[in-house]
Amino acid sequence: MKTKIKFSIVGLLLLLAVAPVQAELYMDGFLQGLYGGRLDQNNPTATEQTASETRMQLRAEHFGDVGEFFGRIDFTYDAADSAGLEVELREAFMKFRLGSSLDVKAGRQILTWGTGDLIFINDVFAKDYRSFFVGRDDQYLKAPQTAIRTDFYAGKLGSFSFVWTPRFEPNRLPTGRKLSYFNGQGIVGEGYFFDVPTPESKFENGEFAFRYQRRLGNFTSALYFYRGFYKNPMGAVMVPMGESFMPMPVYPELAVYGASVRGPLFGGILWLEGGMFDNQDDPDGDNPLMPNSSVTGMLGFERQVATNLTANLQWQADFMMDHDKYVAEREGSGMYIRDEVRHLVTSRITRLLMDENLTLSGFVFFSPTDEDWYARVSAAYKYSDEITLTVGGNAFDGKDESTEFGQFQLNDNVYLKMTYGF
Amino acid sequence: MKKVAYTLVLVLAGLGMFGMNAAAEDAAEIMKKSHLAYYYAGDDGVADVSMKIVSKRGKERVKEFIMLRLDEEEGGAQKYYTYFKKPSDVSRLTFMVHKSPEGNDMRWIYVPSVDLVKPISADDKNSSFVGSNFSYEDVSGRHWSEDTHTMAGDSTIDGKAVYVIESVPVEAYGGFARKVSYICQETHLPLVENYYNKKGNLERVFRAENIEEVNGIMTMTSRSMENVKKGGKTVIEFSNIEYNVGMKSDLFTERYLKNPPRKYVR
Repeated sequence: MKTKIKFSIVGLLLLLAVAPVQAELYMDGFLQGLYGGRLDQNNPTATEQTASETRMQLRAEHFGDVGEFFGRIDFTYDAADSAGLEVELREAFMKFRLGSSLDVKAGRQILTWGTGDLIFINDVFAKDYRSFFVGRDDQYLKAPQTAIRTDFYAGKLGSFSFVWTPRFEPNRLPTGRKLSYFNGQGIVGEGYFFDVPTPESKFENGEFAFRYQRRLGNFTSALYFYRGFYKNPMGAVMVPMGESFMPMPVYPELAVYGASVRGPLFGGILWLEGGMFDNQDDPDGDNPLMPNSSVTGMLGFERQVATNLTANLQWQADFMMDHDKYVAEREGSGMYIRDEVRHLVTSRITRLLMDENLTLSGFVFFSPTDEDWYARVSAAYKYSDEITLTVGGNAFDGKDESTEFGQFQLNDNVYLKMTYGF
Repeated sequence: MKKVAYTLVLVLAGLGMFGMNAAAEDAAEIMKKSHLAYYYAGDDGVADVSMKIVSKRGKERVKEFIMLRLDEEEGGAQKYYTYFKKPSDVSRLTFMVHKSPEGNDMRWIYVPSVDLVKPISADDKNSSFVGSNFSYEDVSGRHWSEDTHTMAGDSTIDGKAVYVIESVPVEAYGGFARKVSYICQETHLPLVENYYNKKGNLERVFRAENIEEVNGIMTMTSRSMENVKKGGKTVIEFSNIEYNVGMKSDLFTERYLKNPPRKYVR
């Protein structure tokens, strides 16, 4: 073991020694301290600290003649969670070109597509809400997937992208330790959470995401297809437990078909995206333990309203299919019954001050039908090229404790973040 | 007698107008040549850029990036590609502009840490370029036909003969109400530009800090913009400049926005 470490250190030193000559290996990263606390005393979470962590991210990049490598690794000491060192390979992929029109990106990578601002319809790639709600940088909303991505460029015809994720990668949801959530009975803290088993590691249980994109004048249009699973364990199956049966959460099988268009209009950027979430495990909405399929659409617009002030507005409508069956299943049970159409309105406002060194940002989600909301605010000051100081907060509320944001209503928090980039 | 006086006035007015037109044409012609020499050097270009922003309190910040430019048409449409190297929080971020003198420009940004391609509304050309004292328009050029130019005479700057030209925006513009340019008679590059606001106060001063020949083209390798009203100054230095490298138009598409062309971007 020791020799191995020695060897790798020697290897690393050799690599670094060679680097300046070729000038092809670059390394940088940041060190960050994030400290946050909850504001609600009644929160059943195990800790009052929503964040107490020191994080070091190292990035390395290497260019060859035909391909390149990029890696990003995070070392985190999370005192509010495991009180131990966590190491995560956020990204590690190789990129190369086959012929002149096929690009391949293979390895652990962050994946994003679609047009929404924090609203995801056809972007069925893994998200990390544990990070998103406690003030970590925006980049942590996206969880990495181990995947192979190919992009085929057919000139004026457009581009065809295909992402194969052999092993299903679910969303990362609050566990009850730092953030409470609704577990089916009520808002709970630590002790109820368990990692829902992901679908068996089989070829057919991989995730397949496809996009066809082309320019139409100044607009970019796209068609999407996804086959995999709901990213949250939204369904359940009955499993034998002793002499009776117990519901066991599962990730239902999912197919998504969608389209989007985005481009400049009315002095800003306009986007329109829609998709159908087709629950493969319960296509007709007959199973009360499974989510119903839905058709969802979004319209968004962003523009610069004044110098250094940008604002956007999005509206999403989600139509639940077979809503009558859903109502019949839940009526009289005391469970929350959502409207057939769930509306969601969001707005982001960004203000840049002091030569763009101070960024004030606010983002609000509000659902008039679920009667819940979530607001994020932050002020980030670039003290120097290296040091950035950020303060921010997250607030949630909702009439019912089982809705998307209502379940987080006890998690209001504020945080302080210090970053040293190198 | 009255009639004669009238005729005389008319003739003089006519002459005056004629004279002014000729001067205006000269001035516009010089500004066009200057624009082409400054913003359209070669058919394409690539350079390492270092931008030093000094705040009014004297605090320094440095941004480093690689910039690619392709002229689709001399004096017309252009494409720009920027790859950020420093500071660390924006490293590997790419930025692309399709500039058309007629309509609104198109801008895109790619944030690699979240694999996000985002079009940016490009309404306000007068907004700061990445927090510097230069505006977007200062970096990519304001088309000469957007201003009315008048010759104000000849002068010399650092021993070089210059034309002094006054420019007033045709349509009201937030960037300036009046601009006085000192254009080098030999290279047609602007050596000094003074920007005045509506009240007639001097707001910003542009200076060519260094000019040298690169690939046979007279090139401004260092330039500065000082905000004399609010304080603060930005110096942009270009190095490793290459012209006419044979850049292709498809380089300025989403494919390369996400996958920087390593031939030029390293």
